[in-house]
Amino acid sequence: MAHNGDDITIVSGLPRCGTSLMMQMIDAGGLRALTDEARARDEDNPRGYYELEAVKRTKQDPSWLDAAGGRVVKLVYLLLYDLPADRSYRVIFMKRDLREAVRSQADMLARRQTQGADLTDSQMIKAFQGQLAKIQRWLDEQPNFRVLCVNYNDLMKDPTPVVEAVNRFLGGQLHRDAMLGCVDPSLYRQRAGS
Amino acid sequence: MFSAKIKLEKSLYDRVARAGERAGYSSTDEFVTHVLEKAVSDLQDESSDEEVQKQLRGLGYIE
Repeated sequence: MAHNGDDITIVSGLPRCGTSLMMQMIDAGGLRALTDEARARDEDNPRGYYELEAVKRTKQDPSWLDAAGGRVVKLVYLLLYDLPADRSYRVIFMKRDLREAVRSQADMLARRQTQGADLTDSQMIKAFQGQLAKIQRWLDEQPNFRVLCVNYNDLMKDPTPVVEAVNRFLGGQLHRDAMLGCVDPSLYRQRAGS
Repeated sequence: MFSAKIKLEKSLYDRVARAGERAGYSSTDEFVTHVLEKAVSDLQDESSDEEVQKQLRGLGYIE
């Protein structure tokens, strides 16, 4: 590896799978988020998005990575493919019941008044299942990526074991109570059973 | 099984039949079915990749 600094910690996954919550938890636990707060908090993410605009242009300009050692940064799963191979990454990959994620995405698109895919919910779920299988295969083949998958539904049901697993994965130095304090069941609004 | 007729030039049919035989398929029908399934699946994957990108763009996660 050309870069020997601290590992870069990444929270990734499909949209509306708890990536912002995980960012908030890790930041509260003591590993600071790398964010520009360009996207302001709103009804979809009342506690903020924890995003960095520059990640969207990683393929053209990965220079934001120079400031990312020892920090945590959020990237939608599709941008993982653009990360340079000469650095090491620890990825917390968020998963969620896809029916909930797709419904939540539809709500967000409606509020933003933007156009999404021309697919039905079941076609969208099938497309995302294919995308998840593909990124999983790709991640398995990357020697510079370590990955911990976290299920949002498990996190909301029983946060303690999830927080312990995340803390262990990130070296065991995070403040667990502060992380647990971020989990607010009232923000779990799209439930598959409802 | 449903059956349909598709017109092919004889020279193409012969090439397909030979290729299927060389690849170990038990019949030309089986080989053609396999090739068509793969071609359709590739096209569907491509179109679903584009739709996923539209979705992520609409949500503001990619440019």
